[in-house]
Amino acid sequence: MEELFSRFTSLNEKELVRLDKAFGWSLSAAELVQARDYFRKAGREPFRGELESLAQTWSEHCKHKTFSGPVRFRSGRKVKKYRNLFKETIVRATRELDRSWCLSVFKDNAGIVEFGSDGKWGLAFKAETHNHPCAVEPYGGAETGVGGVIRDILGVGLGAKPVLNTDNFCFGRLDSKKKLPKNALGAERIFRGVVDGVRDYGNRMGIPTAAGGIYFDDGYLLNPLVYVGCAGLIPAEKIEKKVRPGDLIVSIGGRTGRDGIHGATFSSANIDEETSSSAVQIGHAINEKKVLDVIMRARDRGLYGALTDCGAGGFSSAIGELGSETGARVRLENARLKDTGIEPWEIWVSESQERMILAVSPGKMPALEDILNSENCEYCVLGEFTGDKRLLVTFNSETVVDLPMDFLHGGVPSVEKAAVHRPPRISRRPPASRAPHGRALRELLSHPNICSRHSVITQYDHEVQGGTVIKPLQGRYGDGPGDAAVIWPHAATGSVRDHAGFAVAHGFNPAAGRLDPYLMALYSVDEAVRNLVCVGAEISRTALLDNFCAASPAAPEVMGSLVLAAEGCYDAAMGYGAPFISGKDSFYNQSRDAYGKDHPIPLSLLISAVAPVADVRRAITMDLKRAGNPLYLAGVSRKGMGGSVYNEVHDTRNNYLCPLDIKAAVGTYGALLRAIKAGCVLAAHDVSQGGLAVTLAEMSFSGGFGAVVDLSSAPSEKGVSALELLFGESPSRIVVEVSREKETEFRRLTGGLPVARIGSVQERPELEAGLGGRGLLKEDILVLKSDWKRELL
Amino acid sequence: MLIEIWTRDGYSGNEEAGLIDRLSRAGLEVGAAKLSRLYNIDAAWPRGHFKRLLSGLLADPITEKGSLSGRPGLDGFYRVEVWLKRSATDVVGESVREAVHDVLGLAPRGVRFGRAYYLAAPGRRKPAGGAAADPYQARLRAVVARTLANEIVQTVTIA
Amino acid sequence: MKRPKAIILRGTGTNCDIETMTSFRYVGADAGLVHINELLAGKKKVMDYDIMAFPGGFSYGDDISAGRIFAVKMAKLAGDFARFIKGGRPVIGICNGFQILARTGFLPENGRGAQLSTLYANDGGRFLARWVRLRVNKRSPCIFTRGLPDEIELPIAHGEGKFIMKDRKALEGLLKADLHALTYVENPNGSMRDIAGITNPAGTCFGLMPHPERCFFPFQRPDRPASREAAAAGREFFRNAVEYVR
Repeated sequence: MEELFSRFTSLNEKELVRLDKAFGWSLSAAELVQARDYFRKAGREPFRGELESLAQTWSEHCKHKTFSGPVRFRSGRKVKKYRNLFKETIVRATRELDRSWCLSVFKDNAGIVEFGSDGKWGLAFKAETHNHPCAVEPYGGAETGVGGVIRDILGVGLGAKPVLNTDNFCFGRLDSKKKLPKNALGAERIFRGVVDGVRDYGNRMGIPTAAGGIYFDDGYLLNPLVYVGCAGLIPAEKIEKKVRPGDLIVSIGGRTGRDGIHGATFSSANIDEETSSSAVQIGHAINEKKVLDVIMRARDRGLYGALTDCGAGGFSSAIGELGSETGARVRLENARLKDTGIEPWEIWVSESQERMILAVSPGKMPALEDILNSENCEYCVLGEFTGDKRLLVTFNSETVVDLPMDFLHGGVPSVEKAAVHRPPRISRRPPASRAPHGRALRELLSHPNICSRHSVITQYDHEVQGGTVIKPLQGRYGDGPGDAAVIWPHAATGSVRDHAGFAVAHGFNPAAGRLDPYLMALYSVDEAVRNLVCVGAEISRTALLDNFCAASPAAPEVMGSLVLAAEGCYDAAMGYGAPFISGKDSFYNQSRDAYGKDHPIPLSLLISAVAPVADVRRAITMDLKRAGNPLYLAGVSRKGMGGSVYNEVHDTRNNYLCPLDIKAAVGTYGALLRAIKAGCVLAAHDVSQGGLAVTLAEMSFSGGFGAVVDLSSAPSEKGVSALELLFGESPSRIVVEVSREKETEFRRLTGGLPVARIGSVQERPELEAGLGGRGLLKEDILVLKSDWKRELL
Repeated sequence: MLIEIWTRDGYSGNEEAGLIDRLSRAGLEVGAAKLSRLYNIDAAWPRGHFKRLLSGLLADPITEKGSLSGRPGLDGFYRVEVWLKRSATDVVGESVREAVHDVLGLAPRGVRFGRAYYLAAPGRRKPAGGAAADPYQARLRAVVARTLANEIVQTVTIA
Repeated sequence: MKRPKAIILRGTGTNCDIETMTSFRYVGADAGLVHINELLAGKKKVMDYDIMAFPGGFSYGDDISAGRIFAVKMAKLAGDFARFIKGGRPVIGICNGFQILARTGFLPENGRGAQLSTLYANDGGRFLARWVRLRVNKRSPCIFTRGLPDEIELPIAHGEGKFIMKDRKALEGLLKADLHALTYVENPNGSMRDIAGITNPAGTCFGLMPHPERCFFPFQRPDRPASREAAAAGREFFRNAVEYVR
């Protein structure tokens, strides 16, 4: 292979592909040809480091070629062409909404929105996935995933202080009976390892892990999804980076080693039995904590002009990105190394964790060194940013890379992807009831996608920094399942007199996506927004993150569902007035099972939403507060059991997914928010998985009260059945407990909207539901709670 | 020098029960289990130095014990040793290396951190004749690979 | 009125330092963060302060065991710390801080710097973050818990919080002297005699596993909004220390 490489410019396409496979670059044939032609024109053979740099910079992980590339979409006879799918859907909504409070979108490590009332702060938010490493080494994969997204926040602008971590996982069912291939880890092992990793890293960093979710489906048995997010605060005047020629390139934090070679290209490749172990790493949270402490002190003293994290692609990406306008001169012999047996090109592309690159003016270096030394944080000066727009990397006298920046960043060729949509069969027949409603409710409450997450949540230090005012576990017994976390970031702003905060929530619905990817996007944005309403957040200032996970984009069906979901994101963002500020995608989430059959994951879109909370003291929880208070249902209950958990437990033979009226939802949410702010609402909880009955049960046992409701008064579509009212999952619905004394005011604020009184809170610990006098179910809340409060782990 | 640390009887019930439960859910019945932490300190120092590290740094004086020459009294147990591969970052090893310097004023060449699990088959002793003649050991190896170690980043030895 | 100077002592991996500092500042102390490296280098001196706090976190990763490496680093300054405590200046160790005070032998106090107690892995075998009810020992000399109601709620967040003393007689002595200032109503971690926090006989050096700095305002409690008017028990710990010095 070395021989083949030595005559790179004379290779044909087939030989190039062979070489690519041997060297593990994961470049496409077109990209290899592009590179070969460049060096042909340059009149020389490439250095190994140059191809490695191109492989990293052009990788799916760094460039997002699929989502940002051209697509030809066909649905029936309709054909639509996109030149850049991402820009024409998700980014387009942000541009058209053009919100003044969006301070930085889609260009830095994370999106930034305005925070607080005085214009002094920005809130940075980002979510990532770390799926492939978690499938192979769950503990290390989760740790380094958390560490990576925290560095994104540390490296946004001139550095934000992380104040919240989020985590959303998808695993195979723990009780799955499916046979696994030889080297695959079981769902429980992955689950346990991932939770341990998130816990050990997040807790050591002193960042509360306080929002997220866990979703079980056998579609994730071979390909777990691990979404990790981080939010941080940054002074508004520290958002712009500036690299000046002459600035020193300073690497701080961890050392560079052979671990983490080819992580970026690994994440774009199918997992197979020969998965390279060097791509799997163990995290070192304490090293990253040192980096955090150094950056916060150095940022406030203005000791560097720019910084970024070393993520995928290591030095090559970080320095290449920071120096893209100036050029950079790098001397790799200056790097601090973990081990000695490492090749120069490996130093250049290694993805060893816990490293950040700073651009430091030489005059400020002594002050920075003082801080680094006082925090016992290792560092090295790798070279300097130049003005010649070239990337020159050497190891002593050996050249590793010598390329113009614009080829590195602009050279990647784009290839049109085919996309088709073939809708599944939808049945609208009346849903069949398969069990007594009371029994069905108990089955749903103990379903893995509904039951309590306390055994995971209590392992996370979700209250460090003292700002988690609306907690993931809430209510009279500290165990009710909250809709959104509300964070009061006083540990970052330094002010406990200011009560401004923010809420974070998620929407996720792959079950709907199997039926209609477009509606899935709408449902997911709606779910995230209504969760924010439930705590009293200012939803008119909602900002969104999109995180897509999908199987191979080479399959036109996969691309087709992606196109539909992206169009849904556009419509939802416009409808809710909620711009996307950052996003990420992960492809090739598919693996071969024990019988050699390919298993793609279902299209998985995680929507993360953030919105300000003007006064955290007025935010509300989901537990019932007082007997005698009226209960209201906001939003119309519609026909259709499609995508419901009930259907998974007892197939009703109806898989219809109702459309979503965004305008109606926005009107209802706005009125509810006014009522919450007026102090009329004591508890609010959204209707999602398991439907209205599950929502009422959770509110009841979290507050230690019963509830009695008659669903005949619920705002509903004509002809909706009792089953659909109890267990249907039609979107845009929220149950609220209204203060008895303020019921008149509540009715005034919600007048003319689909908001109706369905019952009241009662002292007797029973949940009773009826329909026009006919009893549907009557269950003891302690029994319901014991079904729900399972130890998942 | 290999220093082995373990929890004293009387305090070790929880960790042992937890391990037995975990292995049992993975399909291996275990009669008894013991856990140890291992610190491999790469330095050519007099034994007294290591003794000082054992009592002054590595073992909790209330709940733990340690030894420089292996853990006594576990005949008939399988010994499973798990170490991180050289290529993986050994976080604990690194911080112990610094702490050793704080205690002795001397830095070892390196420190590696590992774990040992002692497992006894239910109701019988380990047969003589090695792994080939011992189906329990083969099952043990398989279950360990599914629960206690990941051979992508760790090495496992069973004796 | 005097503004007592409070040193919030941190090391690598300390992570509750800012909230602890904020808490002391709110009740009138002049509080500042100091890295133990600054003390070791002689740049700062403990005797220049009136109050000392060891905040929570994972000092040096809690590698080996919680607080062990920090305690080793403190050994070189043991004389200074002993003088500080002996002089009756208030010292509070919260969570990791309590683990450090136990491992350095400052709690339970014995004058020899011998470690008499340990905070070991929770009985549940895992890290546990939740709110707990605590009984306040009204007979305790502890100055930090003065004036608190009989029962309070605070959050805990630890993996190693099981309080153990090997010497039964020493434990009985501690109980007899009412040095157990805080006990759990429902023991979450297996601590002997439900102990959540202990003090020295003077009442000025206090270590506890729960986090008072996370219950400084009523709206930080999980059972809102009914508790808007309820007291935030955590604040009293800090106020008591500042008032004691004044």
